[in-house]
Amino acid sequence: MTDTETGRSAAFFRVEGTLLERGPLAAAAWLASNAQGVGERIARLGNVALAAPLSFAGELRTGATSTRVTWMGLRGMSEDRLVLLAEEYVEKYVTGEVLEIGAELLKKARKQGRRIVLVSDNIDLIVGPLAEELEADDLICNRLEIRSEKATGRLEDPVIGGNVSGQWARAFAQENGIDLGASWAYGASGADSLLLSAIGQPCAVNPDRQLRRLARDHEWPVVEK
Amino acid sequence: MESRVSEPKKNGHNGHNGNGHENGNGHSLGAEGIALKGPSIAETFAGKHLLVTGVTGFLGKVWLAMVLDHLPEIGRATVVIRPKKGEDADARFQWIVERSPAFRPLRAKLGAKAFRKLIREKIRVLEAKLVEPLCGLSEAEADAILTDVDAVVHFAGLTDFEPDPQMAIDANIHGAQHAADLAARSRGKRYIHVSTTFVAGRRSTTIEESIEVGVSPNGTTFDPEEELRTLEEGIAAQETKSQRIDYAMDRAEALGWPNIYTYSKALSEHLIETREDVTTTTFRPAIVECARNYPFEGWNEGINTSGPLVWLLSTTFQRFPARETNNFDIVPVDTVARSMVLVVADALRDRAEAIYQCGSSDVNPFTFRRAVELTGIGIRRMYARRGDDFEKKVLSKLDPICAEPDPNEVFGHRRMRLVARATRKFLRKFKLQENVSPKLYDKIDGPKLDEKLRKFSMDCRTTDRKLGQVDDMLRVYLPFVNEIAYVFRTGHLVAATERLSDEERELFGFDVADVCWRDYWVKIQVPGLDKWSLPLLRNEKVPDDPPFEETEELDATAENESAPLRATA
Repeated sequence: MTDTETGRSAAFFRVEGTLLERGPLAAAAWLASNAQGVGERIARLGNVALAAPLSFAGELRTGATSTRVTWMGLRGMSEDRLVLLAEEYVEKYVTGEVLEIGAELLKKARKQGRRIVLVSDNIDLIVGPLAEELEADDLICNRLEIRSEKATGRLEDPVIGGNVSGQWARAFAQENGIDLGASWAYGASGADSLLLSAIGQPCAVNPDRQLRRLARDHEWPVVEK
Repeated sequence: MESRVSEPKKNGHNGHNGNGHENGNGHSLGAEGIALKGPSIAETFAGKHLLVTGVTGFLGKVWLAMVLDHLPEIGRATVVIRPKKGEDADARFQWIVERSPAFRPLRAKLGAKAFRKLIREKIRVLEAKLVEPLCGLSEAEADAILTDVDAVVHFAGLTDFEPDPQMAIDANIHGAQHAADLAARSRGKRYIHVSTTFVAGRRSTTIEESIEVGVSPNGTTFDPEEELRTLEEGIAAQETKSQRIDYAMDRAEALGWPNIYTYSKALSEHLIETREDVTTTTFRPAIVECARNYPFEGWNEGINTSGPLVWLLSTTFQRFPARETNNFDIVPVDTVARSMVLVVADALRDRAEAIYQCGSSDVNPFTFRRAVELTGIGIRRMYARRGDDFEKKVLSKLDPICAEPDPNEVFGHRRMRLVARATRKFLRKFKLQENVSPKLYDKIDGPKLDEKLRKFSMDCRTTDRKLGQVDDMLRVYLPFVNEIAYVFRTGHLVAATERLSDEERELFGFDVADVCWRDYWVKIQVPGLDKWSLPLLRNEKVPDDPPFEETEELDATAENESAPLRATA
């Protein structure tokens, strides 16, 4: 069976855990801690910190709620500041900080002619430059809603949460002519299990305890370094 | 009293183009699809002889370099330069073209030999003093020089906000009149006058590209000649510089101008507009700042308007008394130079508008809220690049904000100044030895402590002086950053740009709408000021460009022996 008959195969990389160690909570906290004025920094950090317990709270962790709360703390920050701070964050914590194992898998996938799709619940200002650096074909991530040159604290729809459903993967594949059966997916946490389950060739990369158990149960390959 | 608004001149046609479409030969079409036939910018400049003043200044330099670089078809430019500090005009000009960064692209493009050949062929240096009638030339000398001059372009002026008023009058009023006198004797009788948008004075409104001669910003009618006479007589009667400043400021404020600079530039405009012996085109740039592209990204020269403000915000001073919604009307110097090419071209075609304004507030406004926030981020990056520990760990973490001026602010500069002054006063009289027992004096190592107190007293004096400078600076800037809200119309430059072909629009179009303020301010302006202006505020030197390679220099010298580089009148 060739790609032309069934669509091209893709490699889906969950950015958090497979390519970057730091997730959206760290990015939001860093942006908040660099707000204009000391008082504002403290207030915003407190707001972002509200998301921390949610990210350990079962169902809320995997849905979009935790993601939404994470970015609420940036409400009212100017677009100028967010764009420029994100550049600094990328320079400091993203460029050159790609996990070796993820980079190798990505290189291999590209060599095999797969379409590279990055999936992240971080915002485009942070993972956009990463996608460019890695020459990814697609980037699925969140965008801060901006009104009158300021962040509203909301994310634009559709919001990418801690997990990405199999339904989303199937819709994406259909829209882009991708053969999911011949595609690969790489994830690092239990929250990625839905995405991994929907793809023909799932792979756990440096998995957390929950994903490790699932990988063992489903006999998914595990890559660690 | 003559009232002049910017209607199209009778001896030309407006040429306003509403749609920007182009016909096959690259010329724009008018609203009815009629081609606005006319020469291109290059064709307009071809063979023309311009007499230019003020090429030693920031804008004048960039403009001249740009013209020589992009319009080598120009016939000739005679540059008027005054001798300074034992250096004649020729030597001053020589230094500028050979060492100023403004000419860097042209030098790099041509190499020493071709560059010097171009300068030799296209430029004549005229040593003259603008403050003197006919610029110090005899009538015969002037006529000999001006016989084939097509236009006089007057950049020269004094841009200090609070100078000795007589100096401002000499440079900005008499200098302009004398330049216009030269234009009146020239073949073209065209005079292009560089003014400033801030002649608008204290008027919080949209400023049109027009002038009502004899009407001041606050609506008072006045006779410009009578005003100048009274001003000069009044100044002459004062004994000290400070009294002269106070006298001129009182007259300026009474008519609605916030400082001596804008007052003198405005009076000059009013006087020039009443002349009937020349065709005047006035060009009003707003705040001219670091280059976006030409001669290269970030170049600036001297201490311009935003330099001191950025310096101030790079200290512990964080509450900038600007009104958030007011526009900070910045224009990169290369945008201003491009615009000036358009204006000179329109004047040479005899279809210029009376007044062209060159600012950003009309088409791409940049508010103080953004400017102050972006300055904070720019400074943070500046300190990350080259700061010491205190700058990196403390100053870079402080973000300036816009705040209404409050003289009673607890940690405001005025309060801090009072504290510094009182501390200094106390310490000057305080003698540790007289106030403690000899035993305690010995125990606490009195002499060493005395030395520390003396040093601290000196620090208080320095702080007092610095805060005094801050106070002066804020007083001078306050009208523009807080009290007056302007929008400067720039429709004439937009229209002139629409008439250009694609190729010439790339080179000369009024491109302020393309400026991304976020990138410009943080990645070009603040680093540019850090490199080219802030060292001057610290009494450090900014290096000139290195001389040409020795071999190239020898080649050029050999050729120069047979033909003098340029003639000096």
